[in-house]
Amino acid sequence: MKSKLFCNLPPEPWLSKLPHLRFCGFVLAAMTLAAPNAHAGDAPPWMRALTSVALPAHDDKDSVVQLYSEEILNVSSNGKLKSVRRVAYKILRPDGKDFGVARGYIDSETKITGMRGWCIPAQGKDYEVKEKESVESALPGVTNGELMSDLRAKVLQIPAADPGNIVGYEIEQELRPYVWQDEWVFQSTVPSFEAHYTLQLPADWEYKSAWLNYPEAKPVSIGMNQWQWVLTDIKAIKTEESMPPWRAVAGQMYISLFPPSGKAQQRGFDNWAELGKWYTGLLKDRDNASPEMKQKVATLTASSTATLDKMRVLAKFVQTDIRYVAIELGIGGWQPHPAEEVFLHRYGDCKDKATLLGSMLREIGVESYHVVINTDRGAITPAMPAHQGGFNHAIIAIKLPDSVNDPSLVAIVQHPKLGWILFFDPTNESTPFGQLSGYLQENYGLLVAPEGGEFVRLPTLPAAMSGIQRSAKMKMDPTGTLQGEVKEVRLGDQGRGQRQALHGASDRKEWVKPVETLLSHAFTNFQLTKASVTNLDRPELPFGYNYEIIAQSYGKPAGNLMLVRPRILGSKSSELLETKEPRRYSVEFDGPWRDTDTFEITLPPGFEVDDLPPAANADYPFASYHSKTEVTGNVLRYTRSFEVKQLTVPLDKVEDLKRLYRIIAGDERNTAVLKPAAR
Amino acid sequence: MIHCCKTRVPVLVLSLKLAYIETHRLKHALPVDWYRTGLNALPKPFFSTGGCRVVSLMRTFLGAGALLWLCLSGVSAHAGDDWLPVVPEELKMTTESLAPGAPAIYLYRQVDRDDQSGHEENYVRIKILTEEGRKHADLEIPFVKNLTKIRGIKARTVRPDGTIANFDGQIFEKTIIKAKGVKLLAQTLTLPDVQVGSIIEYKFTKEWDAGLIYDSNWTLSEELFTKRAKFSLKPSTSYAVRWSWDNLPPGTDAPKDISHVIRLDVQNIPPFRTEDYMPPEGELKAHVNFVYTTSGEKDSDKFWREYGKAKNSGIESFINKRKAMEQAVAQIVAPGDFSEAKLKKIYARVQQLRNLNYDKEKTGQEQKREKLKDFNNVEDLWKLGYGYGTSLNWLFLALVRAAGFEVYPVIISNRSNHFFHPKLMNSFELNDNVVLVKVDGKDVYLDPGTKFAPYAVLPWSETGVSGLRLDKEGGVWVQTPLPDGSASRVDRKALLKLTDDGTLEGKLTVAYSGLTALWRRSEQRNEDDTKRKQFLEDQVKEYVPVGVEVELTNKPDWTSSAPTLVAEYKLTVRGWAAAAGRRTVLAAVLFSNSEKHTFEHAERVHPIYFGYPYEETDDVSIDLPPGWKVQSTPAEKIQDEKVVAYTLKTENKDNRVHVIRDFKVNFVMLESKYYAALRKFYELVRTGDEEQIVLQPAS
Repeated sequence: MKSKLFCNLPPEPWLSKLPHLRFCGFVLAAMTLAAPNAHAGDAPPWMRALTSVALPAHDDKDSVVQLYSEEILNVSSNGKLKSVRRVAYKILRPDGKDFGVARGYIDSETKITGMRGWCIPAQGKDYEVKEKESVESALPGVTNGELMSDLRAKVLQIPAADPGNIVGYEIEQELRPYVWQDEWVFQSTVPSFEAHYTLQLPADWEYKSAWLNYPEAKPVSIGMNQWQWVLTDIKAIKTEESMPPWRAVAGQMYISLFPPSGKAQQRGFDNWAELGKWYTGLLKDRDNASPEMKQKVATLTASSTATLDKMRVLAKFVQTDIRYVAIELGIGGWQPHPAEEVFLHRYGDCKDKATLLGSMLREIGVESYHVVINTDRGAITPAMPAHQGGFNHAIIAIKLPDSVNDPSLVAIVQHPKLGWILFFDPTNESTPFGQLSGYLQENYGLLVAPEGGEFVRLPTLPAAMSGIQRSAKMKMDPTGTLQGEVKEVRLGDQGRGQRQALHGASDRKEWVKPVETLLSHAFTNFQLTKASVTNLDRPELPFGYNYEIIAQSYGKPAGNLMLVRPRILGSKSSELLETKEPRRYSVEFDGPWRDTDTFEITLPPGFEVDDLPPAANADYPFASYHSKTEVTGNVLRYTRSFEVKQLTVPLDKVEDLKRLYRIIAGDERNTAVLKPAAR
Repeated sequence: MIHCCKTRVPVLVLSLKLAYIETHRLKHALPVDWYRTGLNALPKPFFSTGGCRVVSLMRTFLGAGALLWLCLSGVSAHAGDDWLPVVPEELKMTTESLAPGAPAIYLYRQVDRDDQSGHEENYVRIKILTEEGRKHADLEIPFVKNLTKIRGIKARTVRPDGTIANFDGQIFEKTIIKAKGVKLLAQTLTLPDVQVGSIIEYKFTKEWDAGLIYDSNWTLSEELFTKRAKFSLKPSTSYAVRWSWDNLPPGTDAPKDISHVIRLDVQNIPPFRTEDYMPPEGELKAHVNFVYTTSGEKDSDKFWREYGKAKNSGIESFINKRKAMEQAVAQIVAPGDFSEAKLKKIYARVQQLRNLNYDKEKTGQEQKREKLKDFNNVEDLWKLGYGYGTSLNWLFLALVRAAGFEVYPVIISNRSNHFFHPKLMNSFELNDNVVLVKVDGKDVYLDPGTKFAPYAVLPWSETGVSGLRLDKEGGVWVQTPLPDGSASRVDRKALLKLTDDGTLEGKLTVAYSGLTALWRRSEQRNEDDTKRKQFLEDQVKEYVPVGVEVELTNKPDWTSSAPTLVAEYKLTVRGWAAAAGRRTVLAAVLFSNSEKHTFEHAERVHPIYFGYPYEETDDVSIDLPPGWKVQSTPAEKIQDEKVVAYTLKTENKDNRVHVIRDFKVNFVMLESKYYAALRKFYELVRTGDEEQIVLQPAS
């Protein structure tokens, strides 16, 4: 795929543009009537016309407003595609300087044939910059295994992007897309006054458009097989933490192009099944097994008799022995490398790993299918029009043989035709076979089968399979010093994160740091006297920390009383919703989880409990929280559980979530009061 | 450690297009990270302006893990297939006792550089110890097209069983940056069949034009532990070369000149770790630096004397406009002004001039259109009314001299990115300037070239540093003052009410003074009111350990150099008081977050480094809700460790709790051996901050 696990690049439409312009609305009138004679270096008429437009509605935090945007796509009769993109902003605040940059992307399918930028200052002459002044760059460094990609950016700095000035640019491109489809993403983080999309097709071509997250606008015919869509006063999308992915909220239009039959190999997609067929074509012969692969399968599975055991050992091999390395050149962003190459070199990206595993599974008689997906849940759903650009990851769906029926396989769904299928992500090195990370749960993926593509919803795992189970047995002395041991079991994604942190450490001395950081949030004054890690390299088993601590001044003397916080460590509360602005979007959780704490404090001799904090109980459909503090003999016992049951908290329930977080925060601060024991 | 080597000297033509404009120096007043960014954006010096020509180029472009060269036992490096033998111990090893848990280690590195013919050979052998360590099999070797060339890349994987997988795949050429006249590319590849237990090896040669002297430094400390490494440099014969080293592992022999090749053989180099509050990385890594000069001077006193003379002569030539300066002074001061009043007026006037270092970043077209005129002397500068920070300081010097003061130019070493090593005789290290004025017999250091710096306040990176006070004899070494913490304060005063539901609300006033005001004004200088408001509100959020609602209510003075910057807020802290059965408790200290997670780790490798000493005082009054009274307040805390101090006092009167907290940091750098004591102090601070006020029903 174009990007790997955890990546979701912002959409960059591959099309737009047109050389012979036909404007409508305000801009057309302004250009034809009011455009001054242009001089070299002057901004073009389409920008000049913007100097007197009224600004769209905005607030005092908006750095810019987009005065105009235009995408023109011109398809010539020989199938060549050209695009033009024009954008202009009025800079309102110093922060807006970041918009004084024109950025065009280049890859094997796309080249920039022209690039210019202008600034119309509030006072003085216009500025103009040309393509020769641009800077071209790729991502430096081999980050997260992304070794090589042909994707590069060309960046042009526009002068004087200062408050009061208008900046704009125009980028012309020639395109050779693998799929004839365009995305017009007209909504952004800033308000927009007017946005145009123009399509020019040869006489015998057709198109289909589909809209997402925005009311559909009808096009106006402005010539022979030429259409234009115009939108005005488009509201900005203000980003929020834990909001749905951009693709799920921003207004977009998808255009699929259809040449007359037999005229071109490429075409757009009518539906997801067609996209699946296209992807199936890319997989053809890629999963052929070499003799060495067959030999490896035989060796790996030699000691296993059960099919499930064989599946596990092959999955483990691809998961861990095949290093993640992405080399994405041309169609290589979509098409996997042949399985035999991946096997030979022992490296590949997500689709390579899925291909290799599928090939090896077939050697033991197990069928499987690619599933293309987006790692941001909600970025792709069946409700969206079929389009290519929304996926950024590939996993595998394994058709479970009838003989395989094991309770450890929870990432399964029953497919009406295929029967039980198990989803597995061989790129994720620390999720055990049979399970799924949170970001894939309840996510939609396109299952690619020879007969076409079909959306499947990945399962939600029980909350109890992820989370932190923490228990502590401590003693307190009369000075308030707390001493004892803590055991943590981290399941699912909670263990995965810790494993990654420790694996990345330069040496073992660094392993203690995550624990110290956790403790520093709980204690003002502590020594970690012993610490160990369990199952670091065995992702199929729960990850754990065991440690012993001495925390001085944990009990706070107050006159003859002693104040003790029963919730010894760990925090579940959040400031996510404590914002000045009202929330605009639902809250998305990473995955379901259930955390539990059991903390016991043996009270210091000579003290007894005078006051205990109240229990906390909150139940909502999306989450629940229960805590209580009790005394049994001389032991203060605090127990709590926090469970996230639904992955989305809809906007109308966000206030409930805020209330829940406040209840948790209050509970976490609550204090027990000890007094001198009666003689 | 310093060493020098004099060599024969024909002059070379150096072809790098790196012009240095001294006046582009950024006068600054910001914390380390900010300044580092700012400085990196500016051209760096290529030639010094003094008598000693130094060719010491930026060490950039070559990425981590990719800059390693081959040559063994003094034999010139080669890029053939003659790999070093792999011994069984290397194949068998599963861990390194000196780096337990390491994902990978360098078994061997070799860098052999020849500055005479312009090439460098690298050899790297890495043992993969964990799955994470396999990422070191992805290589990226950057180079600058038309300046450097990479050739002869060879790589292989030695499997745990000793069999070999030679790299025969594709080497990709990646464009990292392509702009007018500059092309930074990278050779990229990945090794095959890399597993835990594998050894990966690679070697390559880097070439550049003979005569170009480029990045002659050895950085020994890397992300990974290094078991053994060898370095050599065949220095250019066109210049004298000096070298210095620091932080070499214990027991390492100093670099030696053996038959005109400088060699270093080193073992067991620890991986480099970054830590909070540490000095600049370059001062901590094991390294050997080389400096080429046209001067073969070995005596540093003589070197600096000659340098000082030349520098002083240049400055005198720039400021020698006595008459014009006297006329200017007459416009600034009144005849009856006392001496310091005069000085302050001149200081203020110079600071009012446009300081080009503080302009927003401009494109070439904007600069061209602005048509700024060049200035050749202080008279030009005065007439034009603008200049860069360095030149404004020299203008100030000229004016003050014309006003009759005894005044000296001082060139100093700014400590934001590195520390000064006078024995290295690298004149580039004196990279900043201030002016020393004798006022009533006292030395006053001034820097009006730093915008927003109050009179007699130097930006933090210019405090406590060495400088050369120049005169026609060359000058004398001086030390700029290091003001104590009281000169840089944060004072928070809050008048709050506690509501029945445990919320605190009321008015907060924060006064920043000295350096704490200076860096905030500098950082926000090009922002608008909306951004500045957000900045100040965010600061308050950082002070309080729980979420707060805060609204700035005044208009702080962002544009002056007044000693204090005052911000006023409406503050609400929900749920500050916690339930404790029939009682209620609340932490005594509200603004405790700054120290809450400082030095949370028990182990420390590097010294502790603060930019400047500072003090904070909190004066918080909390009115209790009706029906409640104080049952107990924390006892007074006094923790005075001289370099750091903390006091907490709580009073209860008329149902109002009054908390006063003082926190002082009065050092800049402490050796790591004091870390445990310092950490203990912070723990005591946190303990004090979490002391509880207990409330109970009044009836």
